[in-house]
Amino acid sequence: MTAVTDQDHTEHPEHPEHPEHTGHTEHPEQGGQAGPSTEHTAYSGNRSASSGSAPVAGRRAEAARPGRAEDDRSGADDASGGAGGTSGDGTGRRTGDRSPGVNADAGTGPSASAGAGKAEGTGSGAGGAGDGDPWDDGLIARRAEENPGHAPYGLTQTRPPAQQLITPLSYDPPLRSRLEALRELVGLSRTRLDNHTLAEAGRVLDEAAARRRLSGQHTVVAIAGATGSGKSQLFNALAGVAISETGVRRPTTAAPIACSWSDGAAGLIERLGIPPRLRRRPLQSGPDVDEQLRGLVLIDLPDHDSAAVQHREQVDRVLRLVDAVIWVVDPEKYADAVLHERYLRPMAAHAEVMFVVLNQIDRLPGEAAEQVLDDLRRLLDEDGIALGEYGEPGATVLALSALTGDGVGELRDALAQFVAERAAPSRRIAADVDIAAARLWPVYAARRRVGLSEEAREEFSARLADAVGATAAGEAAERAWLRNANRACDTPWLRLWRWCQERREPATGRQVVRPQPDEEATARQRVEQAVRTVADRASAGLPAPWAQAVREAAARGAQGLPEALDELAVRAGLPPGRPPRPGWWPVAVLAQASMTILQFVGGLWLLGQIIGVMSPNLGVPVLLMMIGIIGGPLIEWSCKMAARGPARRYGMEAERRLREAAAGCGRARVLDPVAAELLRYREVRERFARVAGVAAGTGGR
Amino acid sequence: MVTLDVRPQLLDALSALRERVAAARFPLPLAGAPRARANRDELLAQLDDYLVPRLRDPQAPLLAVVGGSTGAGKSTLVNSLVGRRVSEAGVLRPTTRTPVLVCHPEDHHWFSGMRVLPDLTRVWAHRHETTDDLLLPGENPARVLRIETADTVPPGLALLDAPDVDSLVSDNRVLAAELICAADIWIMVTTAARYADAVPWHMLRTAKEYDVTLVTVLDRVPHQVIGEVSRQYGALLTKAGLGQVPRFTVPELPESAWGGGLLPATAVAALRTWLVHQTQDPAARQHAVARTAQGILDSLNTRLPELAGAAAAQHAAALRLTSAVDTAYDREHTRVRGRLQAGAVLAGDALKRWRAFPLDCTPGELLDTLVESLAELLLCAVTAADERVDEAWRREPAAAAPELTARDTAGNDAEHRIGLAVRRWRRELEEYAEDEVRELDRSVAPDPELVAALVATVLLGGRRGRAAGERLAERIGAHGALRLRDRGGRLLVEHVDRILHTERERRLAPLDALEVHPEPQAELIAALSVLQKER
Repeated sequence: MTAVTDQDHTEHPEHPEHPEHTGHTEHPEQGGQAGPSTEHTAYSGNRSASSGSAPVAGRRAEAARPGRAEDDRSGADDASGGAGGTSGDGTGRRTGDRSPGVNADAGTGPSASAGAGKAEGTGSGAGGAGDGDPWDDGLIARRAEENPGHAPYGLTQTRPPAQQLITPLSYDPPLRSRLEALRELVGLSRTRLDNHTLAEAGRVLDEAAARRRLSGQHTVVAIAGATGSGKSQLFNALAGVAISETGVRRPTTAAPIACSWSDGAAGLIERLGIPPRLRRRPLQSGPDVDEQLRGLVLIDLPDHDSAAVQHREQVDRVLRLVDAVIWVVDPEKYADAVLHERYLRPMAAHAEVMFVVLNQIDRLPGEAAEQVLDDLRRLLDEDGIALGEYGEPGATVLALSALTGDGVGELRDALAQFVAERAAPSRRIAADVDIAAARLWPVYAARRRVGLSEEAREEFSARLADAVGATAAGEAAERAWLRNANRACDTPWLRLWRWCQERREPATGRQVVRPQPDEEATARQRVEQAVRTVADRASAGLPAPWAQAVREAAARGAQGLPEALDELAVRAGLPPGRPPRPGWWPVAVLAQASMTILQFVGGLWLLGQIIGVMSPNLGVPVLLMMIGIIGGPLIEWSCKMAARGPARRYGMEAERRLREAAAGCGRARVLDPVAAELLRYREVRERFARVAGVAAGTGGR
Repeated sequence: MVTLDVRPQLLDALSALRERVAAARFPLPLAGAPRARANRDELLAQLDDYLVPRLRDPQAPLLAVVGGSTGAGKSTLVNSLVGRRVSEAGVLRPTTRTPVLVCHPEDHHWFSGMRVLPDLTRVWAHRHETTDDLLLPGENPARVLRIETADTVPPGLALLDAPDVDSLVSDNRVLAAELICAADIWIMVTTAARYADAVPWHMLRTAKEYDVTLVTVLDRVPHQVIGEVSRQYGALLTKAGLGQVPRFTVPELPESAWGGGLLPATAVAALRTWLVHQTQDPAARQHAVARTAQGILDSLNTRLPELAGAAAAQHAAALRLTSAVDTAYDREHTRVRGRLQAGAVLAGDALKRWRAFPLDCTPGELLDTLVESLAELLLCAVTAADERVDEAWRREPAAAAPELTARDTAGNDAEHRIGLAVRRWRRELEEYAEDEVRELDRSVAPDPELVAALVATVLLGGRRGRAAGERLAERIGAHGALRLRDRGGRLLVEHVDRILHTERERRLAPLDALEVHPEPQAELIAALSVLQKER
């Protein structure tokens, strides 16, 4: 056997697409005779070998589940591996078959859950489990199958095993996709939400998976109610035999009792934690009656309202696991606050898998029963429970007397129809998903459109530009350029005057360019404030955990941002030294110089005339001087005008360089991580919409 | 034998205690707050509706309140005791929505006034149909007490039919608890189907705790099982330490189920006799009254410290919240001071301007950017402190109070306020600069704005602003520069402190408005000790 297992381990990677075949050919029980003939015979052989270990694996799986935070499916797989080691060949082969999948799950963590699901889907196709159910791989199905003859708890079940082929439950596609979405949702949210918030969703997934492995032919119905309402009486009336003790002593029933109308329900009852000594069979009163309720597993619960607290705990535990509930109320207690506020209102989503039975109508005279029933309907309506009237889906409300048997037949008919539909487990799980989705609503639903608007991004960039001083730098550069230009084109007289001025004044402001490196040239407070503002904008309207995540992402990005900006301002800033000069400058300087020369020439000429060296000609030298005197300032002025444009461009360029560099740095360090976090939220949100959105569809069904 | 001796001092002490209890407030949503609030209301009801009136008028008729679960047959029991239909009974639950008080016509005056149950409106309607018309518009129908008189009720006794203690209508539950608090005799009704229910047992335990005069009625017991059920119930009572409580059993009869019919007198005869005995026999009466009153007085010994404890918890939580705010703002204040010294204001735009000063930048522009930068620094500190406070408060359950969570759009407001304050600082600084310049010789006096800009740079620029100090000294002389610098520095510190202080006060204002003080705790305990001395 060990050899076979080992061989499987080694062979598996070579035939990844047909792992099952190898296993079957090597199977000792198959011998050589069957070979890989058909998948179905292979299964039946397999089943008989593995059934003995199946409950063990199931229990291990349950025990392992709470510890496994990653994915309940992988938890179950691990457990099956553990069971395989002890139970021999059938399960051992399975272990080899499964281990790659398990490893993949464990290795890639929650984000890989979707991929793992798909991988199992293909596995199921190869295994021939049939319906394309992504979870319905051969493994789980086989593990869930139980052969009553071999089951260790099958003591009360006497039927020959050959009759019973227990098919596991399968959920309808919408529910499957919702469960899948919920699983992905939980996986994606692990890092953001605390376990407490996700506990309910995780529990629903666990229960859905656990229920799925068990018989789909059976419907587990619990009878719940207040103490003294006649739960046990009704239980006995339905079973046709006094199974559950009834009495006037309150509270009567202390532990749940199960009664199964057909075989193969051991796993289901086991799941409820009901020990074998409390499992019963109904009285075989007649083949038709027996046949009618075939597939029903009835659970008699303790009361939920007595002073015995442990009863309430048991009720709460079992109610989470059963497929449907019959609430038994009596005329005295039907309006109890405890019943409505603690149970019916929170379970309003479960209306479709709920019966509300008004018991003890024999205690009411005449038409009073009708009145009370109407009042009960009114109260249920106020609790938000849809009532199954006029063919609409909802809770079934009946009046009966378990004592006289009045109305029990109706309940039996309703139950028979209900059980025959075999839809209760799916409906119950769907309602559970609805409730889980409603609970998770506040942590996923945004109050308004989320996302970082273009406006907010630009504001962030503008703030960063302020922090590095882009505007001021641009203005300063523009003015410096203009100043230089003016100085170059000034008339020499003006320069002379300025030079004298400087000589007279103390030399302040002369050492303009001190190239000392600035530490903290960037305004730290502005960067901090910019990051905070953009994080607030981005997280506005997000549910608290996601808003926190966005803020954290922004804060992480902001670390080291001021230093980066410092460095960047040095690189992107203007090169030190004199600003570049345009081509027309020399011309302007030349013109200015020529104007001065004209003045000199005119002046000398006049001087020459005065001292009599030259012939008296007043007109030309005066004209020359006039041209020089007027033209100098004119050129200066026009240069000033002409320099304005380039100066502006120069300043703008300086500002733009800083601004773009700062914006780029901010985008890479802060905006992108924030956007990624928002994207992640949107992804989760979409999953949630799938979980909750379909809820509306099934709710209205 | 318990006796009831009432001195005026005791009454005074009780009234003082009542005022203290009424003044206690539990506004912060701590874990124990809802319970403390309920306890306070219950205690207040018991003081107002029972203890004070009873001690004032020991001779007033005994009030027996019939309480129990829904469908226990309370109304039927009252009707049967009276002998006619005074309270509506029926199969639909909850039946009794308006409490009904039945008394002898001679005792009518005791209850028509506001002596007991002062916050219930009295209605004298003999026919049920008219009660609705008598209500003033908008009045809560639950807050009404219907008073009936019947000759069959023994004088000196009043029966009160209360709503269900576990009613689906929560107002009814509160009212039921309040009514039971007003009783001299508690009649707890339960049934064969209910005697193990959790809710009535809770009431029974409360009754035991207060040591009131209690009687239980096991109603609607089917004939077949009367012995067994009665025995079971007795066993449960004994187990709970209530074995000595008088217990009456009323069998289930067709009349009890339908139409509010009256039970035959024999069915309730024992209870009736017991009640009559309690009222007619002076010793028994005295005992019943004194026992309940003393029991409630005794219960104050434990209940008041509980309330005081809750008040102390409130104050402790408020202190924690306040200290979270203080810590956050103190931290930011220190940080701001450090940043100011390091010259963080002279960075970014301001630094670029300073680099370009004075050639390419006017003093006015430099001053503008400096002021803006300072405002930004302060705003950053305030928002950081707020964020820190939010984070600390998120861990405090007390911070979930709606008054504390409903914050105004603090961001813009703070920006506005800080901007104003910083501009005011600038104006004052400019005035100082003008003062300095005015003292100088007119011929060499520089532009006051230039001086102001240089001083601001010196004050805000830290090490980087040292050059500005030199220039300032050149312009207005070393002595003047030093003086201007000192004055400006003091002004800056003063303004920064004031701004941060204002913001902190604004943050604390909603918490202060809740008025959680340490006094109620001490006052409650003090009132209790005065009461204990007077007993």
